[in-house]
Amino acid sequence: MESSILESIGVEIIGVMSPVSICMLLVVLIVYSLCPATDSAPPIRSAANLVYLEVPTDSTVQKLEGALLNALVFVIIIAVVTFLLVLLYYYNWTGFLKNYMRFSAFFVLGSMGGSIFLSIIQHFSVPVDSITCFVLLFNFTIVGVLSVFSSGIPIFLRQSYMVALGIFVAAWFTKLPEWTTWTLLVALAIYDLVAVLAPAGPLKLLVELSQSRDEELPALIYEARPTVLANSRHQGRSLELLFGAASQSGSVEMQPVSGNHIGTREGGEQNVHPEVIVSESTNPGNLEGLLRQGDEVERSPLVGGGLGGRSSSSSVGSEYSVVVGSRDAPEIVADEERSPLVESRRRGSGNESAERGMDDDGSESELASSGIKLGLGDFIFYSVLVGRAAMYDLMTVYACYLAIISGLGCTLILLSVCRQALPALPISIALGVVFYFLTRLLMEPFVVGTATNLLMF
Amino acid sequence: MTVAAGIGYALLALGPSLALFVTVISKKPFLILTVLSSTLLWLVSLIVLSGFWRPFLPLNSAASWPFAVLIITSVAFQEGLRLLFWKVYKRLEDMLDAFADRVSKPRLYPTDKMLIALAGGLGHGAAHAVFFCLSVLTPAFGPATFFADQCPKLPFFLVSSIIALAFATIHTFSMVIAFNGYSDGNKLDQLFVPVVHLVTGMVVRTCCWSYYCNF
Repeated sequence: MESSILESIGVEIIGVMSPVSICMLLVVLIVYSLCPATDSAPPIRSAANLVYLEVPTDSTVQKLEGALLNALVFVIIIAVVTFLLVLLYYYNWTGFLKNYMRFSAFFVLGSMGGSIFLSIIQHFSVPVDSITCFVLLFNFTIVGVLSVFSSGIPIFLRQSYMVALGIFVAAWFTKLPEWTTWTLLVALAIYDLVAVLAPAGPLKLLVELSQSRDEELPALIYEARPTVLANSRHQGRSLELLFGAASQSGSVEMQPVSGNHIGTREGGEQNVHPEVIVSESTNPGNLEGLLRQGDEVERSPLVGGGLGGRSSSSSVGSEYSVVVGSRDAPEIVADEERSPLVESRRRGSGNESAERGMDDDGSESELASSGIKLGLGDFIFYSVLVGRAAMYDLMTVYACYLAIISGLGCTLILLSVCRQALPALPISIALGVVFYFLTRLLMEPFVVGTATNLLMF
Repeated sequence: MTVAAGIGYALLALGPSLALFVTVISKKPFLILTVLSSTLLWLVSLIVLSGFWRPFLPLNSAASWPFAVLIITSVAFQEGLRLLFWKVYKRLEDMLDAFADRVSKPRLYPTDKMLIALAGGLGHGAAHAVFFCLSVLTPAFGPATFFADQCPKLPFFLVSSIIALAFATIHTFSMVIAFNGYSDGNKLDQLFVPVVHLVTGMVVRTCCWSYYCNF
């Protein structure tokens, strides 16, 4: 009996939704188990807190104004840094940026990850001595730095480190006060929308630059490699065929760029911010091959001459949410295992060295894999929203999780239909915020009231 | 009553659903998407219902007729939503069949259709268990426990989990029965589902506690 279509539809979407779900789950667990005593500890000043430090005793109006100011300042910082990134990319400062990226990955994994591990060890009284801990942490960090950059690292390891980076940054973000968090999320969603779709948006410029040079944007992205079944020839096209989009020979990518801002120890908050760009690229029509999941063959063939065109790969550094559509060529090829980092740093306390790094691996062309790539900033801000919901109740967690996942699904479907640059944040964040407040205000009294009376339907 | 008991209660409510999910649903990505979307639909229905009932809360627990009205309206709304789900499913089926023709694969088998219905029902059942049981289960992870009003020998959480298990089963399989009934035009099946839903909802609070509590 021939296999039914039900076997293969939707694989790409699940390939993206699983790591997002895992990231959210782990952030919720961290938030629940570590249970930060927010009121007693003095609030940390960071890039997101520059203007106004929220204190629980302020009035509502004060808090709202302060939060709006905070969000505005933050978005401005991100916009400036993104433009700086465009500038640096334009002038080809790639070596410097590459090393900067590596250092920032090291910093995030080491210091933020380290502090979270320490809190966990303290909380659960894990019997481990400091030297062992240091050695393990050091190894963990170094392997992480290696895996986000170089080829030859198993894809699963790279995916895990991407998720780990997302978890650490999101866990740090949940330390922000409540009003600031919500206004920041909304402001970032709006900024994402503008930066990707507006004609002068920095992310649009970035993608156009990278396309005109036929290079890859360096960034931190999560690549979901597709599982290509032996007899499925239309793996990557299922979404488009399903929704009746005309098949083209281009591959569409959705790339969000984000800037990471890493603060110093005492004031540090890393802000990662995703913006999505989509670029159309020409299709290398005469390529054959099969991409297997976990395929270690990360060769970067010098594709330039022999092919009619190349698909612009979108190995974007920080937070590129790239959705690569399918192509007419039978299968995908060994793709370039490259995900350079795009980050911009910001020291919260003062020395504002905001830089954006882009790794552009020289003149080698790349072929985008037909898997979906999601930027790390999307992971982070989804998890921040769910983590903040976790500080209230389990019901809000579940509601926000469903909202975000459905927003992500909608965005992916929209992408396969529109074939245009689309931001990954706005729909999910909007749905998440709406569902959070609806659940908190409306649903919870109702459901808790009926459940405690054993009144179920 | 400690983390172990809490996890035990959670698994009591969600265990069979989890088993079903892992063995049947997780193999096919489309079914996972169906589960997620039906859970979302159930959540939205719950939000609408709570929006409607919010001004009337908290209900006076002395008289029992407000609860009856609550149950009747909720069940009616959810059954209406099931019909809506069916209509959407019909359109989806057409799209899937067209897709199958385009990629020259066979159209949806009857088992496929039942699997989709199962996934939809599982979404509803899991959502019910999470919202009605797991959300009030957080105190159970602590050192003590509550006992149910109706039967002071049983922990409240145990009762809540068992009822949630029953409802999860009902939701899961009534979707299959309902879809079969709608597609075949079988009136008996079509009526069976809302009636069972309504009766269970009305009865679970009040019936027969003293009879079963004698131990």
